[in-house]
Amino acid sequence: MKNFQYFKPKSLKEASEILSKHKGKAHILNGGTDLIIRMRDRIIEPEVVVDIKEIDELNSIHLNKHGELIIGACVNLNDIAHNKIVDENYDFLSKAAHMVGSSQVRNRATMVGNICNASPLADTATPLLALDAKVLVYGAEGKKEISIHDFFIWVRKTCLKIGEIVIGIKIPSYSNDILGDFQKISRRKMVDLSTVCGTVLKNGDDIRIALGAVSPTPIRLRKTEGFIKGKELTEEVIKKALEVAVSEISPIDDIRASKEYRINMTKVIIKRGLKKIRQKNLALAEG
Amino acid sequence: MEFVGKSVNRVDGIKKVTGSLKYVDDIKMHGMLYAAVKRSIYPHAKIINIDITKAKKLKGVVDIVIGKDFPKRVGLYLEDKTFLAVDKVRYRGEGVAAVVAKTEELAHKAVDLIEVEYEELPAVTSGVEGLKEDAPLVHPDLDKYKWAPIFFPKEGTNISNHYKLRKGNIDKGFENADIVIENDFYIPHVQHVPIENHSAIAKMDAEGFLTVWASCQSPFAVRQALSVAFDIPLNKLRVISPAVGGGFGGKAGTTLEGIVIPLAMRTNGKPVKLTYSREDEFVNSFVRQGLHARIKTGAKKDGKIVAVKNEFIWDGGAYTEYGVNIAKAAGYASTGPYDIENVHSDSICVYTNHPVGGPFRGFGMCEIHFAIEQNMDIVADKLNIDKVKIRKINGLKPGGVTATGEQLDVCGLQECLDEVVKDIEYYKKEESNEPNKVRAKGIAFGFKAPSMPNNVASSAIIKINEDGTLHLLTSAQDIGQGSDTVLTQIASEILSIPPEKITIKTGDTDHTPYEWQTVASRITYCAGNAIKLACEDAKNQLLELAQIKLGIYKRDLELKDGNIVSKIYPDKKVSISELSLGLSMPDGSGIHGPIIGRGSFIPPNIRDADKLTGLGDKPVAFWTFGCQGVEIEVDIETGKIKVLNVASCFDVGKVINPKLIEGQVEGAIVQGLGTALFEELILKDGKVLNPNFVDYKIPTFDDMPKMIIKFVENAEETGPFGARGIGEPSMVPAAPAIANAVYNALGIRINSLPITSEKILKALKK
Repeated sequence: MKNFQYFKPKSLKEASEILSKHKGKAHILNGGTDLIIRMRDRIIEPEVVVDIKEIDELNSIHLNKHGELIIGACVNLNDIAHNKIVDENYDFLSKAAHMVGSSQVRNRATMVGNICNASPLADTATPLLALDAKVLVYGAEGKKEISIHDFFIWVRKTCLKIGEIVIGIKIPSYSNDILGDFQKISRRKMVDLSTVCGTVLKNGDDIRIALGAVSPTPIRLRKTEGFIKGKELTEEVIKKALEVAVSEISPIDDIRASKEYRINMTKVIIKRGLKKIRQKNLALAEG
Repeated sequence: MEFVGKSVNRVDGIKKVTGSLKYVDDIKMHGMLYAAVKRSIYPHAKIINIDITKAKKLKGVVDIVIGKDFPKRVGLYLEDKTFLAVDKVRYRGEGVAAVVAKTEELAHKAVDLIEVEYEELPAVTSGVEGLKEDAPLVHPDLDKYKWAPIFFPKEGTNISNHYKLRKGNIDKGFENADIVIENDFYIPHVQHVPIENHSAIAKMDAEGFLTVWASCQSPFAVRQALSVAFDIPLNKLRVISPAVGGGFGGKAGTTLEGIVIPLAMRTNGKPVKLTYSREDEFVNSFVRQGLHARIKTGAKKDGKIVAVKNEFIWDGGAYTEYGVNIAKAAGYASTGPYDIENVHSDSICVYTNHPVGGPFRGFGMCEIHFAIEQNMDIVADKLNIDKVKIRKINGLKPGGVTATGEQLDVCGLQECLDEVVKDIEYYKKEESNEPNKVRAKGIAFGFKAPSMPNNVASSAIIKINEDGTLHLLTSAQDIGQGSDTVLTQIASEILSIPPEKITIKTGDTDHTPYEWQTVASRITYCAGNAIKLACEDAKNQLLELAQIKLGIYKRDLELKDGNIVSKIYPDKKVSISELSLGLSMPDGSGIHGPIIGRGSFIPPNIRDADKLTGLGDKPVAFWTFGCQGVEIEVDIETGKIKVLNVASCFDVGKVINPKLIEGQVEGAIVQGLGTALFEELILKDGKVLNPNFVDYKIPTFDDMPKMIIKFVENAEETGPFGARGIGEPSMVPAAPAIANAVYNALGIRINSLPITSEKILKALKK
């Protein structure tokens, strides 16, 4: 690993200034579970590393006065997975957090780090996409919110500009009970990267589908969602929905899986997610 | 027995659990320097020029060596390797130069500054390809190499060993068969993934004495190879293996030790350390060889197999100094544990431009059994015979004859089969609760003999201290298997001294006595025998003195609780501590001196087989037989396999430590499960695409099945207390048992490892 300068600012202002000053040569250090490995492998060689973990306001997870869930940038994935509010309201998000890496990794890694990495297969990205989450950003011009849908640009590329720091994630308040299902298909069940991952979510009559590892960024399947909208989830509708879904994705062949397998798993994830919703609908109708 | 057969706690347990044990990489010395290796970027290329001028100028760089500086070839069975490449590189990752510098960072920086000019050569990227007539030659000078006469390299080809077995009349065998079938299988390269990476330190003093600290399974084999390579007499070369964090064969023989020594010769007495990265482990230590296997079987309608013709083509990698013996071992075990009259086997080790193949738990047996045991199920199905029954009919029994013509006096294979069939409830159908999941069971046999030269030697020394405690000296290495404990138990049993009063010292060629290698599942047997003999020697000395002291003939004396006691008058006794330095006579004089027992052992009567036919009546020390049954659940939509239950039973002769042997078998089952479901070095044009844990998966805690582990104890006549080896054999049936369960679940045969979800889905969609 190349030598680097290490800063541990106590405020966002200070952190942002350091990042701006060392334009492009500085990198934020949060949990470090990706950064350190990429530095060790000399994929990136930042001259300056800015550790944001000592910035107080980034370390909390709470509901704000509007009932929106705020997950601070430095909250680690185990703390998110085991958080009572998260688990009671969005158990699929907590499951996604739990499926990242190993427990040791989750004690360091954060959800914000997971999305800032902008990997196409980021496990926590699909529940956030399905929930229409907002990314809270601090920059030279102050604080702003970016829709998660605008956040991912390409493989390992976000819309963030130099000097900007993601300070947290905001999940809007939902009046309905959210029913969501996170699934992850991987070579090995635990401690593995997703071959395909996805979240299928029901908010009132609205069904949302988000997938990872099937295109350059994690994506929402808007066409499939549109196709399902207003339809009863019969076998026939589900079958057709899967065809629409396949038309929306562009998976690749790599050493983890073939394109064909990823297409098949996309179908399995969506089918199982929709059937779970159908079951719930039935239960509600009967109950 | 008081100590043998008991679940004595690991004698090395506390230091390992608390982390206080120092492994090689933990060792820090004054003035320590660090090495790094410049590695080839081509799988096969001529080295035109190595320019080290820029690297040498870097401040902090002490020296640089290249392959040409030490061109002497070495090797365990076939002298085909140098520690750094000379004239050409034969795999992607092979070392071409090594740097020693003040820090690791500087060493790596210097490596980047070394400029190597190559002329790329066409590469051989599979064993089958390597056999083709127009294949590029990996070792064009093969005819000039030296090898042990039991191996058969073919000059002008890539064949480093062609083992042949010819028994009975193969053509007649097939003529008499009612059915003849042929099947192909492929087993990819895998890696050992020990928890501790390879590490070595070398230091040379002013008088030319060289000390090497290495995480190695075989300090004496390392000493021998290094002595030859660098012309250092054995009395000036000391190899210490302070601790080994997992070996599995990957730390047998020599790997990185030969890189640090030439550097240490140029550092004015300063120690030089090299520790492999995980990526190095995957590419630049040993890997398990790839295998293409073809089996042709002739069988009668009643299930009797009458002819087997095998072809095993091993992808041996760039150097096969060790791998040639894997081909041999696979050859003489080529039928699996079956009694078959007509056998025709070719087991061919082929040079390729792949990472260096070498010993890996099972030494060829896991690979060939993946083929043999699936093939056996295929034959059974073809004949419409029950899969247990076909193994009953053909499986070896006492009085049966192996592939090489060896008649067996002892063989508990059938007992193991019965036990496994019962424990896994083979005939009980289980249904999954989920509609998309299918459950099924599968079984497989496994057998293995220690693959070692006929005359491998072991020795042990036992020293009795003044207070009646002991020091046990051996160079058997505890590589995690628990040998420190088991060997201590053997000493305890013979000398009636409890394990807590014995300190075992291992792995220091200057101070512990000769042991060939800790490999081949041979330590309990070979080192155990040496220790037994050493203890009996010490015991005899004690009895000699006690009979004078007590006035009782030694025939009527025994050792009990640290005393020499009369069998007839139990109150007549003398303590071992009292005799530890000899016997004091009534007149105040003394006789004999300190009690030191010595034991030397070579397995008795192992003889070379016939060179032309491979036949031999005693080619190995013993065979360990066993069986594994599994129950799996497959998700037919995703192809995911979950191994739910495993039953294992082996005939180990004698269980020395129930808790430890159970742990060893659990480890074998899970390592086998890993190779069955996940593990594969993905090679493309000679490049390993997944040299990391991101893309090379081994089982986690979550993948553990429930395991029922049993043993049969038909004593091995020549083993200590009847014991034979178990470390490797227990892994052998793991992968084929799972493959057979997959067939029983879904009716599909996966003929290559690993059995991935993707392969399952693909086969299902056919």
